[in-house]
Amino acid sequence: MNRRVLALIVLIVAVALIPAVVHSDYILTLCVTAGIYAIVVMGLGILLGFTGQMSLAQAAFFGIGAYTSGWLTTHLGWPVWPAMACAMAMSALVALAVGYPCLRLSGHYLALATIGFGIIAQLVLINWKDVTNGSDGMTGIPAPVIGPWTFEHYNSYFYIVLVAVLACAYVAWRIKTTRVGRALEAIRENEIAARATGIDATRYKIIAFVFAGAYAGLAGSLLAHTTKFLSPDSYSFDQSVVFLVMLIVGGSSSIGGAILGAVLLEFLPEVLRPLKSSYIMVYGAAVVVMIIFMPRGLVGLFESLRARWRRGAPPPLGAAAAAEAEAA
Amino acid sequence: MMHFDPVANLQLLVSGLAIGSIYALVALGFVLIYNAVGVVNFAQGEFVMFPAYIAATFALPAVAVFGGVVHWQLPLIAVYLLVIVLMVGFGLLFNRIAYYPLRDRGWLPVVISTIGVSIFLRNLVQLTWGSQPLVLPPLFPVDTIAVGALHIRPQDLAIIGVTALLIAFQYVLFERTTLGKQMRATAQDRTTARLIGIRVGRIVAITFVYSALLGTVSGLLVAPLFTVTKEMGALIALKAFAASIVGGFGSIPGAIIGGLTIGVIETFGGFYVSSAYVDAIAFVILIGVLLVRPSGLFGERVAEKA
Repeated sequence: MNRRVLALIVLIVAVALIPAVVHSDYILTLCVTAGIYAIVVMGLGILLGFTGQMSLAQAAFFGIGAYTSGWLTTHLGWPVWPAMACAMAMSALVALAVGYPCLRLSGHYLALATIGFGIIAQLVLINWKDVTNGSDGMTGIPAPVIGPWTFEHYNSYFYIVLVAVLACAYVAWRIKTTRVGRALEAIRENEIAARATGIDATRYKIIAFVFAGAYAGLAGSLLAHTTKFLSPDSYSFDQSVVFLVMLIVGGSSSIGGAILGAVLLEFLPEVLRPLKSSYIMVYGAAVVVMIIFMPRGLVGLFESLRARWRRGAPPPLGAAAAAEAEAA
Repeated sequence: MMHFDPVANLQLLVSGLAIGSIYALVALGFVLIYNAVGVVNFAQGEFVMFPAYIAATFALPAVAVFGGVVHWQLPLIAVYLLVIVLMVGFGLLFNRIAYYPLRDRGWLPVVISTIGVSIFLRNLVQLTWGSQPLVLPPLFPVDTIAVGALHIRPQDLAIIGVTALLIAFQYVLFERTTLGKQMRATAQDRTTARLIGIRVGRIVAITFVYSALLGTVSGLLVAPLFTVTKEMGALIALKAFAASIVGGFGSIPGAIIGGLTIGVIETFGGFYVSSAYVDAIAFVILIGVLLVRPSGLFGERVAEKA
């Protein structure tokens, strides 16, 4: 256990040193975006990975957070921090309002009802011009300030995102390892059995949904104050799908997996530049292949490989996938 | 609010029923697959969009494919037959890739894999045909003709007619034929169906093919009214899903009535209330129904099987 904590600290320090070593603005932008996406994906992980409920509205909650934060700071002149808190609260509230009718029913209804909600939300962002400025987008969003420091540049904003990612990962870890997390897991494994043991499944599903919304709202606000420009195109169904793919690739019930998936897929298109125009298609194919052969994502694959390594047997080809399928 | 005009309202009703018929056909596809394998197929919209692209490729005088240009321009009936044959293969392949390997793993992996297929197809289409919308020629004129004081589109009537025929066909299939009875038995209880000698895997494959064909028919019918784009299926499928929930999920008459209801309300809403939010109407109805009567108009109490 102690070695794991140590490894984690080393990893965090290494990540914190990135802006000192990397001077490319472009790579730092990617890092900041990857961190922000990691928060959204962790939120989705609480809902899908921990609880087994599917949502395809993460991009909508992401957008609600971004626009709430943007509107409060540009129209009302609020400072960034309270606006960020409000953005998170707003996304959580909307999640509560949407989750309440949808989560009374089983998973399929939720999955498709959330797509419907996502479409409504994007239509509102496009058409509610007084608040969102429609397709022209919202501009002039300020950067956050602490005392004398303004977090204008990516190399400083990096740390705000890093702190947010760590805080979110900690909260997710607390949820996972306490009574709430066990209740969520029971619901994921067998909702009827969970209800039979006295777990109020609907209430817990709503809690998970609200957390997913709050995470996305915080991430949206973080994005608003770094890009300083918002456009409704960024909060489409496709973006929700990208979040889902990040989670599936990383490993849906693992916090580390959510972060890994987000970082990997944010950098992957840059690595695979020749695929640029078709990378979403490759995403689609990857989802199918992953779900068939690696149901617990990269994290699951690492774990089963390591388990084999420990036992001293060299993993025969394809056995990892088989072990995976068994474990799931 | 404008002056009430009975003729205009009757015209709205016809076009509402036409688009509602499309929703009903796609909703039937959802419900049949759901009943057979317990999973909502998120690629149902691509069952509508993909055949429309194939049809446009064969039917139009010039279509850009992979940067080149093809000039097949086959007669429309030949195109329809060709597309139907191709979509049978598509349905089989879809079952084999997206469902079959995951059949014992619960509903969530299958849902995710159908989402994967849907993303793949939408972007495959964009890569193959580009982002320029195509226009599929209609079997009947889409311009309005005057019937007394009414101005209606013959294509709308064709949609309603073909849908009615298909529903009648399906009724005969399910009630009178052995295959239909096997499909119903599989939908009711797969284990028991297998025990009495029904080849469940084959019936499931047939269900996917049938569902793909329902999508194909609706795609070929609706494409001339709109344009063929990679997004055309997604919104239709979402509204069809809303329709099937409004009707009562799993219920075949529910899917039909739900589809027609949503089509009509949406058409009137788009005309009288707001055309900017016309695509939101179906989902507002959906959320309203979920709140008031979660089992839908025709549904039995929603209870999960243990």
